[in-house]
Amino acid sequence: MDVTLGLLDQLPSSDGGGGVPSGGSTTMRSILTGSKSKEDNNKNTMVVSTEVTSSYPAVVDDESLDGLELGLGLSIGGGGLKSKTAVTGGWSQYARILTAKDFPTTLVSEPNNSCSSSSSVNIPNSSASGTKRTATDSVSPPNGTSVVGWPPVSKAHRMPNLANQMKSPTENFISKSEQNKSKNRTVGIKDYSDERNGTANKKYRSVKVNMDGTLIGRKVDLNAHTSYEMLAQTLHEMFFSKWPSKEAVKPSRLLDGTSEFVLTYEDKDGDWMLVGDVPWEMFISSVKRLRIMKNSESNELASRCEENSERYRD
Amino acid sequence: MDLDQKRSRSVDRVDSVDPDSSESTRTCPFPDEVLEPVLSLIDSHKDRSSVSLVCKDWYHAERWSRRHVFIGNCYSVSLEIVAGRFPKIRSVTLKGKPRFSDFNLVPEDWGADVHPWLSVLAEAYPFLEELRLKRMAVSDESLEFLATNFTEFKALSLLSCDGFSMEGLKAIATHCRNLTELDIQENGIDDLGGDWLSCFPETLTTLQVLNFASLNSEVSFNALEKLVTRCKSLRVLKVNRNINLDQLQKLLLWAPQLTELGTGSFTQDLVTRPVADLETTFGNCKNLLTISGLWDINSVYLPIIYPACVGLSFLNLSCAALRSFELAMVLMHCKSVRRLWVLDNVGDAGLEAVGSWCPLLEELRVFPADPFDQEEVAGVTESGLISVSQGCPKLHYILYFCHQMTNAAVATVVQNCPGFTHFRLCIMNLGQPDYLTNEPMDEAFGAVVRTCPNLQRLAVSGLLTDLTFEYIGKYAKNLEILSVAFAGSSDLGLKYVLGGCPRLRKLEIRDCPFGNAALLSGLTKYESMRSLWMSACNLTMNGCRVLAKEMPRLNVEVMKDEDSEDSQAHKVYIYRTVAGPRRDAPPFVLTL
Repeated sequence: MDVTLGLLDQLPSSDGGGGVPSGGSTTMRSILTGSKSKEDNNKNTMVVSTEVTSSYPAVVDDESLDGLELGLGLSIGGGGLKSKTAVTGGWSQYARILTAKDFPTTLVSEPNNSCSSSSSVNIPNSSASGTKRTATDSVSPPNGTSVVGWPPVSKAHRMPNLANQMKSPTENFISKSEQNKSKNRTVGIKDYSDERNGTANKKYRSVKVNMDGTLIGRKVDLNAHTSYEMLAQTLHEMFFSKWPSKEAVKPSRLLDGTSEFVLTYEDKDGDWMLVGDVPWEMFISSVKRLRIMKNSESNELASRCEENSERYRD
Repeated sequence: MDLDQKRSRSVDRVDSVDPDSSESTRTCPFPDEVLEPVLSLIDSHKDRSSVSLVCKDWYHAERWSRRHVFIGNCYSVSLEIVAGRFPKIRSVTLKGKPRFSDFNLVPEDWGADVHPWLSVLAEAYPFLEELRLKRMAVSDESLEFLATNFTEFKALSLLSCDGFSMEGLKAIATHCRNLTELDIQENGIDDLGGDWLSCFPETLTTLQVLNFASLNSEVSFNALEKLVTRCKSLRVLKVNRNINLDQLQKLLLWAPQLTELGTGSFTQDLVTRPVADLETTFGNCKNLLTISGLWDINSVYLPIIYPACVGLSFLNLSCAALRSFELAMVLMHCKSVRRLWVLDNVGDAGLEAVGSWCPLLEELRVFPADPFDQEEVAGVTESGLISVSQGCPKLHYILYFCHQMTNAAVATVVQNCPGFTHFRLCIMNLGQPDYLTNEPMDEAFGAVVRTCPNLQRLAVSGLLTDLTFEYIGKYAKNLEILSVAFAGSSDLGLKYVLGGCPRLRKLEIRDCPFGNAALLSGLTKYESMRSLWMSACNLTMNGCRVLAKEMPRLNVEVMKDEDSEDSQAHKVYIYRTVAGPRRDAPPFVLTL
C-alpha cells in the first residue's frame, strides 16, 4: 500500500488518468526518465507485489506506468522498450489480464514478439500513458478491471453499487464529457474519468476538473497534494499556464475569491461548495469533482445552495 | 422542377411511344399520379433504396416522394449530395461516431459534429421538422441554430450525443413553437442545473414526447406540471431521478393517457400518501405499454405498478435494483410483457421467474449491476439463461452479461429458441473458457450460428479460437452486425468472416490478433459494408495504406496515439463513402 502511494508521490501527477498537455508532460517525463534507472527495479518489484494483491490502483496513473515500463525488459508482447502498446506498463509482465494467450490449453500461439504488433490484449488502451489525444485510452479503469471499455457497458447502464442507491443523480452516471456552458470549440483533449475512482479507491484519488469556458477537462490526483495551495498551484499550471501575466489568475487568488475565477467542488451529497472552507483532509474525503467557475456564477451557486436547502426543508 | 413539369415530361414520353406497341415496351406503365402516392406509403429506407433502382422513372418518383432520409454514417455522404437528390425532406436521421465510442475507445474530439450539417440543412430544407441524431457531437450553438432557423421544427431526438448543456436545451424549449418531441437518451453530458424546462412557453401545447430521464438537472416541478397539464396529446413522458413519487402521482393525474412512462425516484421524501392512492393513479393509466425508470424502488412501493403491468409490453428495470423475489412479484402481473430489461442482481432465481411468468417474452437484456465487480459473487450464470429459454420460446433478442458460461448451455438455449435474431453474449472475464470443460467457447457460438438461421446481430466473448470465426463465416448467412473482442488466434479468424457472411454491414473488432493479411483479404467486401472498426489488432500503417490505395471509395482512417510506434495502426476505422476524405478530421486522425 505504502509503496504505491510512495510511487505516486514521486510523480507530481496532475492528471492521473487524462491527457497531459505538452507543457506538463515534459516536466513529467524528465522526472520519470531521471528516476527510472535507479528506481525501476525496486519500484517494479514493490509495485508488482501491490499490484498482485490489490486491484491495479496504480494503473490509473499513467505517468507511473511510463516510468515502470521503460525500466523493465519486457519479453511478453515485445521486447521493445519504446513500444508502449506492446505492454502498457512494467507491471503487466507480472500482473496483467489473463487473456487467450495465457491459456496453455488453447490453440492460440503467441503471434507477436515485435514492437510493431500490438499485443494489446494486455492493456491496449491504457497504453496511451501520457497520451494527449487519445484521452479515451487513458481512462483510469476502475478497480479490478484493467481494460478500457470493458465490459462494454454504455453510460446509461452503469449502475452504482446497491449500497449507493441514494438519490444522488450524479453518482449514477459515468459521464463522458465535461462541457458546461462552454462556447469554445477547440480540438483538444477530452478527459474521461470513472467517478467510481474518486469514491472507491483511496490510494489514488483523481478527480475531474473543469473550467467554465473550456472544453478541455482535466484530472487531478488529490493524493499527490497536501494542501490547498498545492492544489491551486497545480490547477494554475493546468488551466492558466497560458496566461502568465494575468494577475487575476495567480494561484493564490483562486482560493481567496478575489480573482475572476472561483474554485468550487462537488461533495459526496451532490452539493457544490467553495473550496477552502473545510480542513484539507475533510475536503479530500468528500470531494467528487472540481469546477473553476467564473466569478459571476459563484453568486448563482450561493443562491442556489440556499434554494436547495429550503426545498428540503419542506 | 415541380410536379407539373415532371408530369408533362412523362406524358410526352408516353405519347411518343407507338400506341400500337405492347405495354411491356414502355419504360414505366404507371403515370406519376399513381406511382407517387403508392411510393409515399413506403417508409423503410431500405425498401426505398430498392425502389429507386428499378428504373429512372421510379428513381425520380421516389426521390420526390421521400420525406425522411436516414444516414447511417454521417461521413459516408455529403449533405450537398443528399439535398440535391431529395428535395422534399422533412425528417433527417444522422448517425456519427463508431459504436465503440460508447466505451471510451474513440477520443472526444474525433468529429461527427452536427453543425456543418445544420448549416446546409437550413438552406436545403428550411421546413425541416424532425432531426434524430445518434452519437453526434452537438454543441449549444448547434441547438440554438436549430431552434432559430427552422420554423417548422417539431421533433428532436438525441441518442448518445454529447457536447451540449442545458443552455442548448433552453434554446430549443424557448424557440420551437410547434415542438412535439424532445427525446434525450444516454447522453454523456454533465448538466449542471439550468432549468431549461421552465423555458417552454405557456402557449406550447403540442408536446407528445418528453424524455429527459438521462439528464441530471433539477427541473422546476411547477413548470413540468403545468406543461403536462396543458399538453393533452402527451403520450411519452420520461422524467429524471429528481422527480419523486408524489410529484409523479400529480403528473399522472393530469396525463392518464400516457403510453410510455419513465418514472423518477420511486420513493417518497416523506410518507405523504398511502400506497393505495398511488396504486389507483397508476391503475387509471390504461394505455401504458412501457414503464422505465423506477430508481430506488423497493418492496413497499412495488405494488404500485401492478395495475399498470397488465397490458405492459416493455418493462425496463435496468435502473431498479430489484432482488430475485421482488422481480418475481412484479412479473406475476406482467403476463404479456414482450421486452424486459433487468440488472443481474436478480440472479438466476429472478430469471427463473422470467421463464415462469413471461411466456410471450421476445427480448431480454440483463445488465451488470456492478460491471467491475471483482468478487463475482453476484450476477447471473448459464442456468438463468437456460431457464429463460425454456419458458420463453419466442425469445429472439438476448443481451446477457455474465461471469461464466458453458458451451452446452448455449447449445441448449438456441435449441429452445432457434429464432434468435440478436445474440449478444458478454462473458465479463476476458478470455474465459467454458468453466466446466475448460475448452474454448467456440462450440457455443458455433451452435448459435448453425441453429439460428435468422441471426442478424452477434456479439461474442470468452475464450475463442479461429474455429468460432470459421463457424460464423460458414453458417451466419444473414449476419449483419458482428462485435468481436479479445478473440481469435490468427489472421484466419478474420479471413473466415470476411470470406463468408454475405450480408455483413458492420464489423467491430478490438484486441484480436488479426493483421494486414486478414484486413486485405476483405478488400472487395468493404464497399458492401457500412463500416469496419479494428483497434488494438496487428495492423500496420503499410497494410492500411495498401487498402486505401486499392479501394479509393473507402475512407481508411487511422487514429494515431503517441505511444504506438509510427508503423502501427492502433485504431483503424474504415467506411465506404461518396463524399471523399473527411475535411474536419482532427490532427490525430489520418486518412490514408
